[in-house]
Amino acid sequence: MSELTTAARPYARAVFEMAKESEGLATWSASLNFMGAIASHADVAALLETPRMAKQAGADALIQFCDGKLDDKAQNLVKTLAENNRIKLLPEISILFEVLKDEEEGRVEATVKTAKKLTKAEEKSIADALKKRLGRDVKLKISIDKALLGGVIIQAGDLVIDGSIQGRLKQMTAAMAG
Amino acid sequence: MQLNPTEISDLIKKRIDSFEMDAEARTEGTIVSIMDGIVRIHGLSDVMSGEMIEFSNGAYGLALNLERDSVGAVVLGDYKSITEGDIAKCTGRILDVPVGPEMLGRVVDSLGAPIDGKGPVDTQLMGSIERQAPGVIDRKSVDEPMETGIKALDSMVPVGRGQRELIIGDRQTGKTAVAIDAIINQKGNDVKCIYVAVGQKASSVAGVVRKLEEFGAMDYTIVVAANASDPASMQYLAPYAGCAMGEYFRDRGENALIIYDDLTKQAWAYRQVSLLLRRPPGREAYPGDVFFLHSRLLERSARVNADYVERMTNGEVKGKTGSLTAYPIIETQEGDVSAFVATNVISITDGQIFLDTDLFNSGNRPAIDAGLSVSRVGGSAQTKIIKKLGGGIRLDLAQYRELAAFSQFASDLDEGTRKQLERGERVTALMNQAQYSPLSTGELAFTLFSANEGFLDDLEVKKVNAFEDALLAHLRANQTDFLDKINQTGDYNDSIADEMRSILENFKSTSTW
Repeated sequence: MSELTTAARPYARAVFEMAKESEGLATWSASLNFMGAIASHADVAALLETPRMAKQAGADALIQFCDGKLDDKAQNLVKTLAENNRIKLLPEISILFEVLKDEEEGRVEATVKTAKKLTKAEEKSIADALKKRLGRDVKLKISIDKALLGGVIIQAGDLVIDGSIQGRLKQMTAAMAG
Repeated sequence: MQLNPTEISDLIKKRIDSFEMDAEARTEGTIVSIMDGIVRIHGLSDVMSGEMIEFSNGAYGLALNLERDSVGAVVLGDYKSITEGDIAKCTGRILDVPVGPEMLGRVVDSLGAPIDGKGPVDTQLMGSIERQAPGVIDRKSVDEPMETGIKALDSMVPVGRGQRELIIGDRQTGKTAVAIDAIINQKGNDVKCIYVAVGQKASSVAGVVRKLEEFGAMDYTIVVAANASDPASMQYLAPYAGCAMGEYFRDRGENALIIYDDLTKQAWAYRQVSLLLRRPPGREAYPGDVFFLHSRLLERSARVNADYVERMTNGEVKGKTGSLTAYPIIETQEGDVSAFVATNVISITDGQIFLDTDLFNSGNRPAIDAGLSVSRVGGSAQTKIIKKLGGGIRLDLAQYRELAAFSQFASDLDEGTRKQLERGERVTALMNQAQYSPLSTGELAFTLFSANEGFLDDLEVKKVNAFEDALLAHLRANQTDFLDKINQTGDYNDSIADEMRSILENFKSTSTW
């Protein structure tokens, strides 16, 4: 996973800078997302792994799968990736591109796990508090996990803020066991 | 029903009292791979080098490789229950161990957790495992002796407090025995001892602890043990943990002695960790920083001045210097002192005690090679009397060994050579000493004096040890005042020499052995 990220970073950065210059961040985001989804599909991934699909053949196949939805530059990206045998990096590139885009737009994505469904007001107060702490706009991604028993766990990048009952019980267990 | 020691109501009450409910903010990563005690973690972007990482099974890890998108860490302890995909948390703490006088008398592992079954250790302070050694300004020159009670050592390779003296030799040449004798001799000297056992059989460590207990030495000793069955990470860390415990005493203006038994095995453990972390191998497959591994450890053994002690204790302890003396041990293969780790440690330390298999097999205990053993700073730390009486012994013995080798082929020898040989034989016999029987300064002075002044010349070589035993018994029974005087002052002048001579003459004319 980490090795893929390392390999994908220069591509993502190059695409991002080109997109920024040509003011096509949104288009690129959509097409990378699309290509990433296709490349990570199990059947496609297996097909691209076969030796006959190496280099140019693989790139052509992938471009055909996308069914004319890719513009010239996106096609060039796929060809460049194929040239270096890196087509399977597409999902990673897409993720990294999103991170760079969020950073550029002063936004950050945070996942919030809760035990119960949050009210709109609660969501807003979480978003506001996070904005204060991280100094950026926060895009919340909310999921429900009954195992937490109560409270929320917020995750933004590597930072985790654990305010759940489950987490407190764990803390208490550790404190009691000494 | 069995109760846990942590289930005492008072303890529970205190814990409930002190427990704070707080949302916990932390940095998390995911374990990508785990193999042979090495984990790779994705995420953890804020982790520090050497930081403790907590795994979901409660075990800790140590972050060693900080790479662009991953962190390489070693697991300290059991890694069987850690799986790929588990969460790893930053703790924000650089690895530290409990330190303090409460640790004395205990056997602990590399993290300072007791393994002697005597319950928890109630320490107040933690000491960082990796610390910068005291700088030039903070140091004081070595000028107090660290007596081992071993005749051959104290007279030929004297060690001062704050010195690093290597004990090197093949397996089974008595390296550990020398170190244990040194610990036993510190009884009543107010020197705290730390014995670090790395990669040894658990039975050997248990044997050492039993011996120390038998001689009442555990009261002032901490044993840090990372046995052969412990993970390589623990074996690599044990010397640093022991050093942190020793530094506590040094920084409080006390004297401490630390024994690393042995650094060869620690280098092996570090080599294992490094190779698994995919660091490039160098000579003998050791990583590039194996010299620094030992140099930074041994630099922390030092004599520090009173200003430093005052600063470290916030003015609590004034006008006292502190010291940490180190006896690192290196095991050689077939007497090869030019192996990589051996040459490294020889160049770092302030001298070495070389134990030789041939000498050991010909019955010399301790089997010290007088020619190869040196102490670079110890001479300035010797007491006056030992310095005066033991001055020429090392060279005499070294020359005797050379001469003895040559004279085997010679049919007739001149008077001078024959005398030198006879003298050498007697001094060699005199330097023999049984284990666990350290001598005080005064007793050592008497044995050296009897050799210097020719009291042994008319004895048969095999009677020398019997003579010495009888002499020591006589001194301990009849001359305690005089011995105490020498032990306390360490002075030597004509009147003391005259008194020693008359005691010896008197003893020789009236006693049998």
